[in-house]
Amino acid sequence: MPTSNTMRSISRAALRPYVCTSCRHGIGATRRRFGTNSSQTPEIYDVVCVGGGPAGLGLLAALRASPVTSKLKVALVESQDLRKARGWNLDSTQFSNRVSSLTPSTVEFLRKINAWEHLDVDRVQEYQDMQVWDGETGSRISFDWSTETSPFEDMRTVATMTENANLVRGLLSRIEASGDENLTLFSNTTVASIENGSDLQNEGPDLSAWPIISVAPTAPGAQAQSPTRIAARLLVGADGINSPVRSFADISTQGWDYNRHGIVATLALGDPDKPSFPANMRTAYQRFLPALGGPIALLPLPNNHATLVWSTTPENAAYLKSLSTPAFLAMVNAAFRLSMTDLTYMMGMDRTSDQFSHEDELIWRLQHTPQQSQIPPSAIGVQEGTVASFPLRFRHASQYISPRVALVGDAAHVIHPLAGQGLNLGMADVAALSRTIEYAVSHGMDIGDLLTLERYSSERYLPNAKIGGACDLLHKMYTIPGQGPITWARSLGLDVIDRLPFVKSFLMKNAEGY
Amino acid sequence: MTSLQTRSLVLRALRAAPTSSGSSYRHTSPLPSLKTRRFPSNRSHSTSSVSADEVSHFSKLASSWWDPMGPSRILHLMNPLRHEFIASCLADSAPAGSPVPQSSNSATAANLDYLDIGCGGGIFAESLARTIPLDRAASAPTPTRAASMTAIDPTTTLIQIARDHGRMDPTVEAHMRSGRFQYLNTTLEDVLAGSTPASAPASAPASASASSSSPTGHQQFDMVTLFEVIEHIDPTTTTPQAFLANCLRALKPGGWLIGSTISRTFPSWILNQVIAEAPWPIGVVPRGTHEWSKFVNPDELHSWAQEGLMRAADTNVTRAGPAALDGWKIVPGSEDWGNYFWAVKKGI
Repeated sequence: MPTSNTMRSISRAALRPYVCTSCRHGIGATRRRFGTNSSQTPEIYDVVCVGGGPAGLGLLAALRASPVTSKLKVALVESQDLRKARGWNLDSTQFSNRVSSLTPSTVEFLRKINAWEHLDVDRVQEYQDMQVWDGETGSRISFDWSTETSPFEDMRTVATMTENANLVRGLLSRIEASGDENLTLFSNTTVASIENGSDLQNEGPDLSAWPIISVAPTAPGAQAQSPTRIAARLLVGADGINSPVRSFADISTQGWDYNRHGIVATLALGDPDKPSFPANMRTAYQRFLPALGGPIALLPLPNNHATLVWSTTPENAAYLKSLSTPAFLAMVNAAFRLSMTDLTYMMGMDRTSDQFSHEDELIWRLQHTPQQSQIPPSAIGVQEGTVASFPLRFRHASQYISPRVALVGDAAHVIHPLAGQGLNLGMADVAALSRTIEYAVSHGMDIGDLLTLERYSSERYLPNAKIGGACDLLHKMYTIPGQGPITWARSLGLDVIDRLPFVKSFLMKNAEGY
Repeated sequence: MTSLQTRSLVLRALRAAPTSSGSSYRHTSPLPSLKTRRFPSNRSHSTSSVSADEVSHFSKLASSWWDPMGPSRILHLMNPLRHEFIASCLADSAPAGSPVPQSSNSATAANLDYLDIGCGGGIFAESLARTIPLDRAASAPTPTRAASMTAIDPTTTLIQIARDHGRMDPTVEAHMRSGRFQYLNTTLEDVLAGSTPASAPASAPASASASSSSPTGHQQFDMVTLFEVIEHIDPTTTTPQAFLANCLRALKPGGWLIGSTISRTFPSWILNQVIAEAPWPIGVVPRGTHEWSKFVNPDELHSWAQEGLMRAADTNVTRAGPAALDGWKIVPGSEDWGNYFWAVKKGI
């Protein structure tokens, strides 16, 4: 979930210093002297979630869906317009370029919280087969369930593609269906500050260890309005890579930028050379292109469309984005078909030349390139305005929890998209956190207490680190060009995996999120 | 189910050992004792039978009582299991409880009055108080169905810590303000004698009216809890039988007396004395927290409870007939390892 820039500007003063228990009384007293009067007593919420992306909305929907947690008083703070997200609509032949691959366990979670039925299922696309190969060595691995399932069983789904906008709209609709009791959605609203509360002494509870969030509307003209102050028993940071909640909790992150960009686009595909069997089977394709700095992937969407995710260097990304539509399509098709040498050449072609077009170059070079058996159908069109790019990064928060604070989704971890796991890890976080809150409520625990939250953290930290690390390793292995030992090991790697059914099925189950 | 969890808790204690800086399994100071050694933090009770050594030991642990990584970590981890055990007792057979408003269902109404004896810093008492619905007519959010909680402990510092900590949760604070949740720095004897100490907050009208009284006029409760208490009783000044008799006196007919303790078996000795109290980084409880000779085996507890009930009946303090133990419940299997839950239901 992207974070608006205005949310970054939380001063260091808002950061919580560590205060030992015995010193707290003194601090409370000081605060009181300069502090707020009781008329400014914040409104108290059980859960305040900052960030209305899939993770934040997923958490809210899950809490509203469980009979144990549905009575909790919850608030969501989102800088974008939630009404616009709720009213999102596109023609059935058009697809947003922000698309995610949902693992079966994510879909199962969405079904369990009764959110799946709120998605437009005509806009989602399951696929049952995944072809992954190395453009340098040609070694390949095919992820399909045909060896795992009997011919009479329905084919099993590897993943389900959905536009993020469809998911967000569905979750909003699910939350709306739960009624508005104990629910506040602060739309078009940013977090102006987060600070600790104060001890209300004889007037009320001691909130000196509670986060108080000041929220202010983003709409122009509304700035003069004084910010609303709300106190959170549990403050959830679902507020993206630059999480203000994480800064407030003074949680550090480790990570690096990959110096790669992901190019996305919505493509129309031509008819496949041979019809798929069975007829409704759809396939995802991913080819590692070590010479160009990362893999290219083509993931199926309904009506013979597909979404492109091409990880490459910023220079290549800029070059690709500057191409005309026919040239861009020629590069995409070339990337699944031509050798590294050909691709490197075409990536440097003079794009203003009238004499040599990328299309002609592709046709000519294809005649001299033996083709793999499993290649995607040709991309024949690009939906206007969908070519975009974003930087690829790796981040992992040093911890997910601190007293009365929990981080989920991109606020906790950002990983390389090559396995399409980012959103799934976020949804798994949300599923775990909502289970943790459910357990706490039914056992009289304080949902913001560290003893409660450590259940969430211990469930999610290592799996996220493992999958993030595996994606990082894959990225690094497959960006080393040439014929060195890494390349040799790589070809051995995929071939061996492909030949050992039990290893492969283990990997597939991991990819599925089991 | 519960027994498995109890087992896993024991194992978790072992696993937690290398990272924990060590300490208390146990908290509380029990009740009767005639010792009157002065401790600055201890109220002197005229009839105090509280073990002074125990009070001193737990006073020292007071400041870290609510530190999730501190010496009381094991107690915190054990706390959710207490809720589950109480829920399982109530699922077997629930006391009638206070009359409920017509609109609500008596099986799900939050109408049970609790007394927590030896509440310490309030780990259990506060967690139960959090489940009391703010709206009295609302149905209970948890199967423990609490309407009120009275928590007592003779250690002044611990009661202060418990109150301060309760104020940090607006829900709990609201219940303390209304009197539906109260911490009393007192002994069970004082409660039975009907003398509520001056330190009681705002005289607790809700709780007092909600609890029915015994024939002799003292307060009685639907549920009396005794977590990790009886193994801290000083056997030289009082007997578990006398102590349990008093606990049963505080109970309404049909109510449950629920507790947990450590059994005196060989594995429990290894676990609780040798391993748990070992020096850092092995140990998880402070040295001197437990005395193995004070640990209680289930059969002893059962006979004590029966004898205690007879005594309570002999003195005509309760309306219960002789041998009116209605239920006897224990989590099977867990007692061999040490900690186990037990419960006694008083006959109607």
